[in-house]
Amino acid sequence: MSERPLPGAGPPEKRLPVTMERIRSGATPARRVAGRLLKPPPSPFPYTSPTWPDSVPRPPAPRELGVDYDTDWARRYPARVARLLLTELVAKPMVAVLADPHVAGEDRIAHLDGPVVFAANHASHIDTPLLLSVLPEPWRHRTVVAGAADYFFDTKLKAAVLALSINAIPIERRRVSRTSANRAAALLQEGWSLLIFPEGGRSPDGWGQSHQPGAAWLAARTGRAIVPVHVEGTRSILPRHSGRIRPGTTHVTFGRPLQPSSGDNPRDLAAKLEAAVSALADEHDTDWWTARQRAARGTSPGLTGPSGAGTWRRTWALGAPTRRSASTRRWPKP
Amino acid sequence: MRALQVERSLPRFAAARVASAWRAGAGGKVGPLRLADVDPPDLPGADWVRLRPRLSGICGSDLATVDGRSSQWFRPIVTFPFVPGHEIVADTEEGSRVVVEPVLGCAVRGIDPPCNACASGHGHRCERLTGGHLAPGLQTGFCAEVGGGWSGALVAHPTQLHEVPGGWSDEAAVLIEPTACGVHGALAGPTGDDQVAVVIGAGTLGLTVIAALNRLRPDISRIIAVAKHPVQKEMATSLGATMIAAPAELRRAVRRATGSWILDNGQLTGGASLVIDCVGSTESLSDALAVAAPGATIVMVGMPGHISTDLTPLWQREIRLAGAYAYGPEPMAGGRHSFAVAIDLVAQAGLERLLSATYTLDRHSEAIAHAASAGRRGAVKVAFDLRTEKRR
Amino acid sequence: MPRPGFVLEVDRSTPPILTWHGEGFRLERLPPERSRVIYAPEPVAALDDPDQAIQDALLAPLGDSPPLPDLLRAGMRLTIAFDDISLPLPPMQRPDNRQRVIEAVLEMAASAGVDDVVLICALALHRRMTEAELRHAIGDRVYDSFAPHGLLLQHDAEDPDGLVHLGQTDKGEDVEINKRAAESDLIVYVNINLVAMDGGHKSVATGLASYRSLRHHHNVKTMRHSRSFMDQHNSELHTSNWRMGRLIAASGVKVFQIETTLNNDAFPKPMAFLQKREWEWSGRDRAAYIATTKGLGRTPPKLARSIFQSIKAPHAMTGVFAGEVEAVHAATTDAVYAQQLVSVEGQTDVAVFGLPHICPYNVNSIMNPILVMCMGLGYLFNLYRGKPIVRQGGVAILSHPTPWAFHPVHHPSYIDFFEEVLSETTDPIEIEKTYEERFATDEWYRHLYRTSHAYHGVHPFYMWYWGAHALEHLGDVIIVGGEPAAVRRLGFSPASTLTDALEMASDTVGRHPTISHFHCPPIMLADVS
Repeated sequence: MSERPLPGAGPPEKRLPVTMERIRSGATPARRVAGRLLKPPPSPFPYTSPTWPDSVPRPPAPRELGVDYDTDWARRYPARVARLLLTELVAKPMVAVLADPHVAGEDRIAHLDGPVVFAANHASHIDTPLLLSVLPEPWRHRTVVAGAADYFFDTKLKAAVLALSINAIPIERRRVSRTSANRAAALLQEGWSLLIFPEGGRSPDGWGQSHQPGAAWLAARTGRAIVPVHVEGTRSILPRHSGRIRPGTTHVTFGRPLQPSSGDNPRDLAAKLEAAVSALADEHDTDWWTARQRAARGTSPGLTGPSGAGTWRRTWALGAPTRRSASTRRWPKP
Repeated sequence: MRALQVERSLPRFAAARVASAWRAGAGGKVGPLRLADVDPPDLPGADWVRLRPRLSGICGSDLATVDGRSSQWFRPIVTFPFVPGHEIVADTEEGSRVVVEPVLGCAVRGIDPPCNACASGHGHRCERLTGGHLAPGLQTGFCAEVGGGWSGALVAHPTQLHEVPGGWSDEAAVLIEPTACGVHGALAGPTGDDQVAVVIGAGTLGLTVIAALNRLRPDISRIIAVAKHPVQKEMATSLGATMIAAPAELRRAVRRATGSWILDNGQLTGGASLVIDCVGSTESLSDALAVAAPGATIVMVGMPGHISTDLTPLWQREIRLAGAYAYGPEPMAGGRHSFAVAIDLVAQAGLERLLSATYTLDRHSEAIAHAASAGRRGAVKVAFDLRTEKRR
Repeated sequence: MPRPGFVLEVDRSTPPILTWHGEGFRLERLPPERSRVIYAPEPVAALDDPDQAIQDALLAPLGDSPPLPDLLRAGMRLTIAFDDISLPLPPMQRPDNRQRVIEAVLEMAASAGVDDVVLICALALHRRMTEAELRHAIGDRVYDSFAPHGLLLQHDAEDPDGLVHLGQTDKGEDVEINKRAAESDLIVYVNINLVAMDGGHKSVATGLASYRSLRHHHNVKTMRHSRSFMDQHNSELHTSNWRMGRLIAASGVKVFQIETTLNNDAFPKPMAFLQKREWEWSGRDRAAYIATTKGLGRTPPKLARSIFQSIKAPHAMTGVFAGEVEAVHAATTDAVYAQQLVSVEGQTDVAVFGLPHICPYNVNSIMNPILVMCMGLGYLFNLYRGKPIVRQGGVAILSHPTPWAFHPVHHPSYIDFFEEVLSETTDPIEIEKTYEERFATDEWYRHLYRTSHAYHGVHPFYMWYWGAHALEHLGDVIIVGGEPAAVRRLGFSPASTLTDALEMASDTVGRHPTISHFHCPPIMLADVS
């Protein structure tokens, strides 16, 4: 081997025994330790999850979320205490400030004993905290809320937050799923009331949607009463597809409970429930007597709005001023 | 002429000792050995002759000297500065080729009447190694006055010379002297029937002992050889060893061959009736004692030095420990001299192949290093080639 | 529902595959598109109530045997023989199947008023078991009732006064078995059928036999014609044992055989990843793997060995069959197959076997190089039915550290076999011809076998014969990670990594060979079509 420099190259650099490189690359113990700690692991697996061989069919994804999310923990004592504090000290004052709830019809349910199914119309995310804070005392802290399995239980964090704060349980909204229905039924038997929105989701345009049969099915199965509930005014506070909250006034009306009898067909019960909620809306818009009369004739205005009408007409009809919605009060009543 | 000389220099001996503890043969560089330009030795007497060495082997005892590990025992029976080398093939001035029998006994020293040993023909046991007209020295190669094989020239007494048979190569002839030692060791133990012999060490000595046992001792039916390195194993097998064992395997090998048992601490209940130790270390003697049967004989052919070992078995099992130095008349070979027997053996067993490498004098430190690690480096005997030395 | 065995075709998205490596394991990436991994079936369900199942089996035996209580009467000589330390692997958590069965048998013997009962450990030429090992196998109750009175014996194949020659089979095979057993009115044999090779007539005809009798089937010729010895219908080893077993029956020796089967749940919970498919490893599995391998990397080999040897398998009993030997064994074999069979299509050029820390002959001991050979080429290679998973002339790659280490008490003749015999030749025929007799009759080995805990002098030869079929079949054997000197002494080639080994294999089987990775343990039996 020749030690001569290549032609054209400068003379070999004179080297100090200690070079900067050496100091940099070499050797402080701290650097070595840090280097060892920061060194990436030698190969990804087993430090990362294994890859899945293409030739092996994947089993259905591990079902820990969605309808399979286990909410038992949220009904154990520590979670209940936390939720009680949360409801009473946070949710209730906030609802009072933002939504100014006016409650009617509590007397209709005062005689009820034990768990019931509260079935309400649904226009806004505010509905749940609003209802939870206005539910009469025996039920307020013993109620689970049916939440859409696909919407509220799709990530662990969301599921955990909702299970803890509102005692949500996952429910399939478009079909009666055995798992979710059984669980809800079991909870009803155990003494938990259920708050459910039979429309299966918030109204897209302000009008109600036709009911899913789940609530009626549950009541029929467990023999528990369904309390129809009508909520009005939440849409203007926080409509769907909006992130902005405008404080407003809300009205919650509890209806007469529907007691399923043993021979009741859940389908009939569902129809009765839908009619009852429509009547409550009518009662809110007009007065109790008019509403009863129209209900008896079967001419209560449908919650679902004019059918067959163009989009603008539905919206137009929705915007018609009602007797009580003109309130501009911003502050809670004393 | 040029010669490799060992000087009496305490610092150099000490340096050699330290260096050789690190690596055997390292004494060749820092030790008492140096290449010098010296005058050829004068003839000590009228009947002496001048020799021009052709090949001169490196022996284990030479290595010990170079590495500063020789026993103090030798101090009074050597004279400094001496030229080492006692495995010599040389030309006489008359042009005949001889090998040198290096012992400097009474006859060589002009002592008349000779001592008892010399008188009985056992010149190697001479009692007058410091007497006569010569300076002290047990062999050629350890005496300043006669020179040695690692040089361009030396002097010798005619009684020391053995003619090399015609047609022999120098390479074969240089093995006659070490083979004579092997023959002497192999024929030293007592005879018996269907004996198992153990040969510890498979360097030049071990291999020549194996060859001698195999060809000269019909009473020995099995030879277990202890060898470390592949070349040694191969050679030992081809020279007649029936079983080769690594040092750690020796006890089990002897147990199998002799049908004895092994007790808890590894000692055998029986063992071999003849053990020939060609290494001369504490380990080799311990192994020898461990595998020697009750009443057996251990022959030490390798130069031992200081050894520290438990001699209880020697006592309890009546084991005899015998030395075998150099060469002499061999009663077991009909009283012929070891050299004569060795000349036949070298030819019969083809021992010429034991010579693995030769070096010129100026590459002496390489030669010493090679010889000191011969087994590991796949070699057996290493020698100096002096055929190109200038004769002045 | 446990999943059956599975053959994975390796592709680019296949994670590295767990490969056993003695007291440890490695993750090895296999070449995609031409490799496959053979996975064992998952452990089948255990019996709900093993003790009840044993009762049922004893009361309703198979074949033409009356129920056990009908065979027991006061004044009779009863000998209960049981399998030794080599089964199961790893040793199972207490209670061992043998304990359950022997206790059930003894209950019945007690109620029948049988006084003359002797227990014999049917160890053939294996080492004697220690007290602790016996206690583990048959339980403290049984041990304490029999051992102090000298009624718990270990078979001694070298006791001239303890053997009886029953005659020769029509093929001239000597049948010589334990005298006490042969002269009993009834032998109850209690077995654990871990693999398909165990049990049947092999229990008595091998377990209680002498060297003189064993050499007729424990030899190179028989083993080369046992293809494989795990498939009794194609195994010369079994044919010979069956001839002997029938002769034993014809000589009036009555055997009531009780065979038990286990599932292949071989490792306790924390090591569950060892029997999982890699892509199904959970975070916990990966953490356990990393912690174990990192820990083992810092553990001295000796300590690692004792840790691994202390593993007790959560094996569970899956079946118990009692009655006439052949009828029982047919049922047992079906149960073993149900747990272990994996169907595999065709052979490959190369087979990769990761060798675990244990084989039948190093329980509480050291897996020496000869046992490495026996485990790889004897056991794992022969875990097939039909054809070997590697083609004729193919290459077997074993993964094991193969230390040059022997247990001085258990394997004294192995050391000599390794030092003397293998340094001369590795050809089984040559070894058998030149050395077997000397080792078999060596006084010292005989002494150690009879009085200490040593395998018989001839046992290492049998280990070598066990691999004789594989040695004849294979083109080359490579040991990954093996100590080079020891591997070379075995006549194999050492490689430092699997990649190197595959590269070396290409000299024999060409570029781009097809590869099978036999993901064992847990134990399985490849049904190769």
